Amino acid sequence: MKKLFLMVLLIVGMVALAACSSGDEASSGSNSEGSSGSSGADKITAWAWDPAFNIAALNKAKEAYSGDGEYEVEIIENAQDDIIQKLNTGLSSGTTKGMPNIVLIEDYRAQSFLQAYPDAFHPLTDVINSDDFAEYKIATTSFDGEQYGLPFDSGVAGLYVRTDYLEEAGYTVEDVTNITWDEYIEVGKKVKEATGKNMLTLDPNDLAQVRMMIQTTGSWYVQEDGSTPNLADNEALAKGFETYKKMMDEDIAKIVSDWSQFVGAFNSGDVASVPTGNWITPSVKQATDQSGKWAVVPMPRLDMDGAVNASNLGGSSWYVLNVDGKEEAADFLLNTFGSNPDLYQTLVKDIGAIGTYSAAAEGDAFAVEDEFFSGQQIISDFSQWTDEIPGVNYGLHTYAIEDILVTGMQDYLNGAELSKVLENAQSQAEAQLK
Amino acid sequence: MSQQLTKKNELDLPLRHKETKRQKTNLYFRKKVGWLFVIISIIAITIFNFYPMVQAFLLSFQSGMGSNLEYVGLANWKRLFGDPTFIAALTNTSIFLLIQVPLMIVLALFLSVLLNDPTLKFKSFFRIAIFLPCVTSLVAYSVIFKYLFGVDGIINQFLVNFGFASQAVNFLADPFWAKVVIILAITWRWTGYNMIFYLSALQNVDKSIYEAARIDGANAIQQFFQITVPMLKPIILFTSITSTIGTLQIFDEVVNITNGGPGNATISISQYIYNLSFKYTPDFGYASTVSYVIVILVVILSIIQFRVAGEKK
Repeated sequence: MKKLFLMVLLIVGMVALAACSSGDEASSGSNSEGSSGSSGADKITAWAWDPAFNIAALNKAKEAYSGDGEYEVEIIENAQDDIIQKLNTGLSSGTTKGMPNIVLIEDYRAQSFLQAYPDAFHPLTDVINSDDFAEYKIATTSFDGEQYGLPFDSGVAGLYVRTDYLEEAGYTVEDVTNITWDEYIEVGKKVKEATGKNMLTLDPNDLAQVRMMIQTTGSWYVQEDGSTPNLADNEALAKGFETYKKMMDEDIAKIVSDWSQFVGAFNSGDVASVPTGNWITPSVKQATDQSGKWAVVPMPRLDMDGAVNASNLGGSSWYVLNVDGKEEAADFLLNTFGSNPDLYQTLVKDIGAIGTYSAAAEGDAFAVEDEFFSGQQIISDFSQWTDEIPGVNYGLHTYAIEDILVTGMQDYLNGAELSKVLENAQSQAEAQLK
Repeated sequence: MSQQLTKKNELDLPLRHKETKRQKTNLYFRKKVGWLFVIISIIAITIFNFYPMVQAFLLSFQSGMGSNLEYVGLANWKRLFGDPTFIAALTNTSIFLLIQVPLMIVLALFLSVLLNDPTLKFKSFFRIAIFLPCVTSLVAYSVIFKYLFGVDGIINQFLVNFGFASQAVNFLADPFWAKVVIILAITWRWTGYNMIFYLSALQNVDKSIYEAARIDGANAIQQFFQITVPMLKPIILFTSITSTIGTLQIFDEVVNITNGGPGNATISISQYIYNLSFKYTPDFGYASTVSYVIVILVVILSIIQFRVAGEKK
């Protein structure tokens, strides 16, 4: 009995002790947040994930830094999933230890971070001028009237087409320029007839195609408030679903289940077109034997009023965390990505990254003719389309709703009625996202 | 003389009494020392196990985005029963459990008896070959399984070239076959692991029992069911409980082979917890409610297994 009592006492004591110590940590964390205003840091850290892309861009930015701040910038590479996990666990535990000063966040996720951790990010409203950047980026990088993100790469989408396959089917590049998805499917059928090749790849677990389709009409999975699911009465979404099914039914799509199969399909010449974000360019150019056989045209649009031939897939922006060194971090971003058009020229030339800083688009690097694409000025074309992308508030729940829709899409492809599928998805999303 | 003797006797008694008292304090002291030895692990377990468990339990009654959590009472538990994704995850995990665990246990038992045969040659080669899968990394073997069963994977090439199928089967895009692939993968990975337990337990079974059985005319099948299985019962119980727990927590295989797809056809509870915490807008409260479902399931299933195996207590 005595033993038991002793043990219980011990456990209770330990729990209390542990609770106390964790409480201390949290309060000291917020203390350091509070006092961070004036103290100057001599080193800031930045997190990004792709050594060939955004890490490289950070390194270029470091070289191009033109301000007079005296601090060191340490660039750390983390996988994107790791960054998300570290931010989530770090920010929700209330400790800012080990957090970076600058972090790159994908646009689809930005709102959930900004809203889930309201005081964790440092507003850049007074630091940068949001008019300097592509308009469509602003809705996703700002929250509650404050600009938090510095828009980085453009996810502007284009339709990469194999001109030789099109020719075999009796089409020219003009025939696929500024078309609707229905017209695209017709072209696809002819191409398959003539060449035996599929028109595109589809991954049933990834509705990126549908996302790009609905953004051509300025619509999204959620309403403009960024949180109310907009599925059942979303005409664009219904059209997107129909188009997706039609591509399956007409048998013009090769089914893939992951990234390497997706890239493999166009590198090996199995598909006649790739409708996706501009960041695929390096992967397309990997197949050097296909040089001169590709062209890029604007994204097909949905056959609806107000739809435009421009869309977006992916893209990310820089954020400053509300920790020691935030002034330095903001200063670094302002004097690099925030105001230096020459930096963007370097990014295009050396990395192939298309920024969303509007003033940069006039530079020489953007007008370069790309041999691989038969001399087409693809960078200049992409940045032109960037300005036409309908601005959409991606809101909080892109991936949560997408998972619901993926299941819905399976049902729809297996013969369920579309209106039922979307109503179902709507009620499921409403129950899940409060 | 006699006086002295009595005196000595008088002195002796309390002295003896004193000694036993000292022994008692000694014992008490030793007990205390014992406590000192275990206290380190008690503290560690309390801080790193019990405290997080209590916190997670409290968290399971909260909901909200990221750090904006507030108590919502039983709302999370209500949400759980109306959540189609959770129900899909629970169903999938149960299917994996009900088919995979018995399959693996039987297979492991069968292999271990075969490999325990004293007349078998290259015994250690076979033992190593079957045990080897469980030293491979979870992610690495999952990726290999994914490519084996891909549309242009070796399994499909085999099926098509030898005329078993007219056209490549897209295993991972079919709700039924995707589950089959997952079950095959886990079975391949863990059978050898369980087999090792049975093999070592078989070394402790007295050979004379088998000899006696043989003299009595029992055949191999009778020996297996009447002797081997009952003798291995505690180990079978142990492996089935650890396998059940392992399968309930299945994550790596599902994420890497099918990523839960097609649709939700192979999503597991652990993957759903991950999605709720890190893929979607984080809701750690609801995620820990789902985690506690695993805890509850493990407890219930372990009790059932103990009962079935007949171990009272």
